[in-house]
Order: sequence, then C-alpha cells, then structure tokens
Amino acid sequence: MDPFSNFITGTVTLFSDPLGILIFFGGVVGGMLFGAIPGVSMLTLAAILLPFTAHLSAEHGIMLFSVIYCTGVYGGAITAILFNIPGAPENAPTAFDGYPMTRKGQAGKAVGAAVMCSAIGGTVSAIIMMAATAPIANWAISAFGPPEIFALVFFGLAVAATVGAKTLWKGWLSILLGLIIAVVGMDPVGGIERYDFNMPYLLAGIHFIPTILGFFAVSEIFVQAERKATGVYEAPKLSVNFPTLSELIAHKFAVFRSIVIGFFCGILPGIGATLAAFMGYNEAVRWSKDPSEFGKGKLEGVISSETANNAATGAAMIPLLALGLPGGALTAMMVGVFQMHDMEPGPLVFLNSPDLVWVVFAAMFFANLSILFVGFLETKTIINLLRIPFQFLAPLILLLATVGAYAVRGLVIDVVVMFIAGVAGFFLRRSGYSVAGIVLGLILGKIGEQTFAQAMQMLHFEWTGFYDRPIAAFLILAALLTVAGSIYSAFFKKERQ
Amino acid sequence: MGKLRLGHICEAAFWLVLATFLYVESFEFDRGIEIYKFGATGWPRALLLLLAVAAIGQFTYQFLAGDKSTSGTVGAASDDGAEEAARQSGHSDFRWYVTTFCLLAVPFLYMRAHDLTGIFLTLDKEGVHTVKLVAAPLLLAVYLFLARGNQVGAILTLPLFFAALLEDLGFYAMAPLFIVGITLLMGERRARWIALTVALIMGFLLLIFVSLLYVGLPTGNISPFYDLSHLLVTLLQ
Repeated sequence: MDPFSNFITGTVTLFSDPLGILIFFGGVVGGMLFGAIPGVSMLTLAAILLPFTAHLSAEHGIMLFSVIYCTGVYGGAITAILFNIPGAPENAPTAFDGYPMTRKGQAGKAVGAAVMCSAIGGTVSAIIMMAATAPIANWAISAFGPPEIFALVFFGLAVAATVGAKTLWKGWLSILLGLIIAVVGMDPVGGIERYDFNMPYLLAGIHFIPTILGFFAVSEIFVQAERKATGVYEAPKLSVNFPTLSELIAHKFAVFRSIVIGFFCGILPGIGATLAAFMGYNEAVRWSKDPSEFGKGKLEGVISSETANNAATGAAMIPLLALGLPGGALTAMMVGVFQMHDMEPGPLVFLNSPDLVWVVFAAMFFANLSILFVGFLETKTIINLLRIPFQFLAPLILLLATVGAYAVRGLVIDVVVMFIAGVAGFFLRRSGYSVAGIVLGLILGKIGEQTFAQAMQMLHFEWTGFYDRPIAAFLILAALLTVAGSIYSAFFKKERQ
Repeated sequence: MGKLRLGHICEAAFWLVLATFLYVESFEFDRGIEIYKFGATGWPRALLLLLAVAAIGQFTYQFLAGDKSTSGTVGAASDDGAEEAARQSGHSDFRWYVTTFCLLAVPFLYMRAHDLTGIFLTLDKEGVHTVKLVAAPLLLAVYLFLARGNQVGAILTLPLFFAALLEDLGFYAMAPLFIVGITLLMGERRARWIALTVALIMGFLLLIFVSLLYVGLPTGNISPFYDLSHLLVTLLQ
C-alpha cells in the first residue's frame, strides 16, 4: 500500500479504538501540561509513565510516547517563555527571546507564535516522516550492519558532545560519564560482571529509568528549589494577546528555513531536536539584517526555535524506527517501551508490525495539528495552573518520580539510585555539564559497545575494515571532522560569553 | 595559576580520581573472552582513558580561559538556569559544599547502620530492626542539626533520607511526612495549606496507583509500619 492509504488505515485504527482515543488525548494534554509546568517536562511525564506502559499494548505505549513527544516539545516552550525555564534542552533558544518578550508584557504573543510554529513545523515534519521512513528502513536493512550502526552512534555522540554543556570538554565528560555508567553489569560478549562491587543489584546494570528520572525530573526540582530558597523564583506576567496573522506571514521564510534545518538535524541520532532548535535560532540570527535585536524580545527568535524543534520530532522517529537508534532522551525511552514488549525498534518493525508504525505516524500527525487547537485553548486556560505555588508542586513531582522509579522492578534501591542521580545532576548542571549528554551516553553506550564488539568480530579485528564500508567510513570521517572542528573552535575561536 | 580557581582543581581531581579508581577496579574483571580479543576490560578502559584526556583538556581550558563557554558548543548548560541559580544563591563556597556533603552522608549512615553496629554486636533479624528503629530518629536529629542554615542542602538530602527509610518503614507512613518536610523546606508555614497538600497528593497517588493501577508500593518490613501499610493496601484494593 502507498503511504497515503497506510495513513488512512492508521487514522481509522487510531480513532476507532476508544482506549486509543483516550490515550491519544491523554498524551496531548499530558505532554502540553507537563511541558508547561515549571520544574518538570515531557521527559518527567514520560519517565513516570514508562513503567506503566508494560500494562498497555506496544501500539498504545509507543503511540502515547510519540504524542507526548510532539506536544511536550511545544509545551516546554511555555515555561521557556514565561519563566526562562526551558521545559527541555530543545526549548532553550526559545527562552532567549521569549522570556524578554514576557518581561515586556508580550507573553501571549510569544506563546501564540510558539503554538502556530510548533504546529506547522511538527505537521510538515510528520508528513515528510510518513513518506521517507519506510524507504529509509528498507534501505537500512541491507546497508546498515554493526559497523555502520557503531559509526552512526559515534557520529551521534560526537555531535551531542557539542550540545548542552558549557564547554566542549564538559560535553565529552558528560557523555563519557553516561558511557561508563552503561558499562556497569554484564559485558555484552562474555557475560562477565563489571563494576558490580559485590552488589547483586548492580549485576543487571544500572536501570536507565531511575537514572533518567533523577537526572531530569529530580535535578530540575532541586534547581528550582534553590531558586525558591534564595528568593529568586519569579512568578510570570500573564497576557493573552496573540500575534496577528500578518506578523506570522512576515516570518514565512524563517518558518521554511527552520523546517528544513529542524528536519535534517532531527535525523541525527544524538540530540536531534536540541541541535535543531539552536541551529534554527543561530541561522535566524545569521540571516537577520539586524542581529543585535535578537535576545531582546524578537518574535523571529521564538518562531525559528519552535518551528525547528518541532520539525525535528518527526525526523527523530526515522533513526528510531528505521535503525533502532534513539535521537534523544524521549526517543530513548521509546526504545524502553519496545523492549518491555520484547520488541527491538529497527527496520524489522516495518515488516513485523506495520499497524503499530502507521498508528504512531497518524497519531503524531494529529498530535501536531492538535497543538494548534488545544494549544490556543491552553494558552487562555491551563496556563493559569502555573499560578500553583512551587512549594505544593515539588512534593507531588518527587513522589510521582518515586512511584515511577519503584514500579520498574519493585526495588527501593532504584528510588535511591534516582535520588543519587538527582543530586549528581544538580551539582553537574550548576557546573555546566549536560545531563542530556549523560543520559544519551547511558542509552547509546550499550548499543555502542555491543555493535563495536560485533563489528570488530565481523571485520576480524582489522580497524581498517571500517574504511572498506563506504557508509561506515563516511560516518566515522564525519565524526572525526566534527570532533576536530569542535576542538579547533574551542581553542582557537573567540570564546562566547 | 592562570585563571584557575579552587573549584576547577577539585573538578579535575574528581574526574582523574574517578578514572584511576575505576581503572584499578577493572583488574577485578580482567578476564579474556575467547571470541573477543579485547576482553571485558577493553571498552571500559578505552572510555576511562578518554575520560582522563577530557578532564585534562577541561583543566587546560580552564587554566587558559577560566569559566568562559567555548565557541564550539551549541547551547551552553548555563542556558537551562542551573548555573544562574547557583550564582544567584551564592552556594558555591567551600564551607557550603562541606556542610552539604555532611548532610548527604546522613541517609547513607542510616542504610549502613546495622553493618556499623554489627562490628560490635552480633545482630539477628529483630536486632537489625531495633537498630534501624533507633538509628532513624537519631539520624533525623543529626539531619535537623546539620540542616540549620543550609536550606538547599536540606532539600537535597531529604529525598535521599526518605528513600533510605522506604525499605524499612514503607511508603504509606513516610510519604505524608516527606510532603510536610519538603513543603516546609520550600518556605510554606501555613498549617492548613500543608495539611491540604498532604491530603490531595496522598489521595491522588493512592487512588491512581494503588486503587486503579494496583502498583505495589513499598510497605516496609518493620512492625508496626508493615502492618499499617498492609491494612491500608487491603482497604484500598
């Protein structure tokens, strides 16, 4: 069947199942709400829900996460605009101009632009994803073996090292810490236990759900608690004056440019949407006739960043579904959902579970469209929930995280690990390290080591074997150039303030 | 000293000590694998080498440029507000770190209380429970003493203390106390609002997770906390 017929089938399947409809709307509202609550993000919701997806079908579980992904990326813009707290790293550039707009009393205009541009970027991306993922998956079956996947992981990590941390070195230290945490447990070839310190718990490795909950949700609560304790936590000024149509049309070129940037960045396994948002914003500054206006409350800054990060959501599904490689923290959790249902994301999903794929695609398309309607409604209504004082919100979030971490395996030690990760995340973040990098290292570490071992066995332990395979050679070369380029920039270019 | 601060030296020392410690530990599993010539240590040792290189690179950069961001990175971590919060709070002096790490040690002392007592006494199961029941209020007093004047350190430690107590005293007894503790530490003093928060959060969690989703939360293993938790679960399910 052609993609359009598949899309229709997926849509009918999605909306003919009452539980599916409930999960879809739950994901839409939940993603937006958690994205919009200061101190938590879509990742918090996803991490809390992850253990419970074991009780859902694989189709419903993945669909729920993909919907949360689309709406959560938009939801994170609200906290970025209103509180200068990006809901997720991909919303960070939105705050550059969004927060100054709030201070100027133009919060509604900034949020309105985020609603429109997130919906446009996400919907276009979903359409391209539907057309492109299956051909890429078919090609990937024959073209991507362990050497290529290892090379792709290496490239993804090389790019990720330049995103999110204060310096390149801290980016690499964050990723390497994640990779080392992933080493704990059995080695993937011989099953030899490593770094277990004679603790049976560590034999199975450190579970990524408590770690993700700790590094993202708990550390965020601690950061906000520090602001609250020191009296620098500010309530936002609220306004609901949306941007006019002419204002948005005037930025059509910025929207188009950001869709292209967002989609191509999103395909990278690493921190696709984050890179997309920063690249979108950076290009807006670079193409502007008056770059000095950026950072002072320019609407184009919000438009470029929000279009690009939502354009990356559809693209991020391509490496996940076609190659089994997560593009960021949330898609990494989707790998967890697949694994809970004894499935591995990758090209075979298209052959074995086409229904799942097309229900997810249809859900992502409609989730992006729903941002337009629910988002405007949310701007006028749900936004008022932000008035709930943080001291009442924090214990709820911490206890939800506790339940989420405990429910994974029924082990209290997972809760302890989560809070240790939260404290570690708090100290690492305030020192300029990237918690997203640590989590990516943790997730990609296992895939990386396994594919490296398989590749070396395939290539008879000849390192030059990588260069006999064009795709692997290209990716490794690209990764090495990325590393060399970033080291050059770090040492020889003028420092950013 | 270039543009180095004490914090930079501590940071570099932390990474290098971590890399060295893990390298030494890797000899514990330094065994060959017949089909894989790099063995179980090849991958982790390569990572540790890179970790040491990155730590030295970071140290050199800090020596030359201090706390500036590099131009090769996209979206510095300072953008997420954590660094800004740390700067504004003034919680970056050596004394604050020492008191905070002392506070953070308290939950771990509780977790190992029976081992420490076991050095002097032979403990059976009942003995371990007794030690835990005595250690919990004693260490709570130590926590309250150390927490004076270090609100952020207290907030960081309380969840860990709560997690440490979960195994023995259970979620149902500890969660309400935890909510009260966190709300108080966040600056809330109105008793009615705190009571309402406890009621709403506990009601929400018990209804959704225990009654609807049948999630088994920790019940503890020391009487009467264990009995109380079981009674509550029976009533809710």
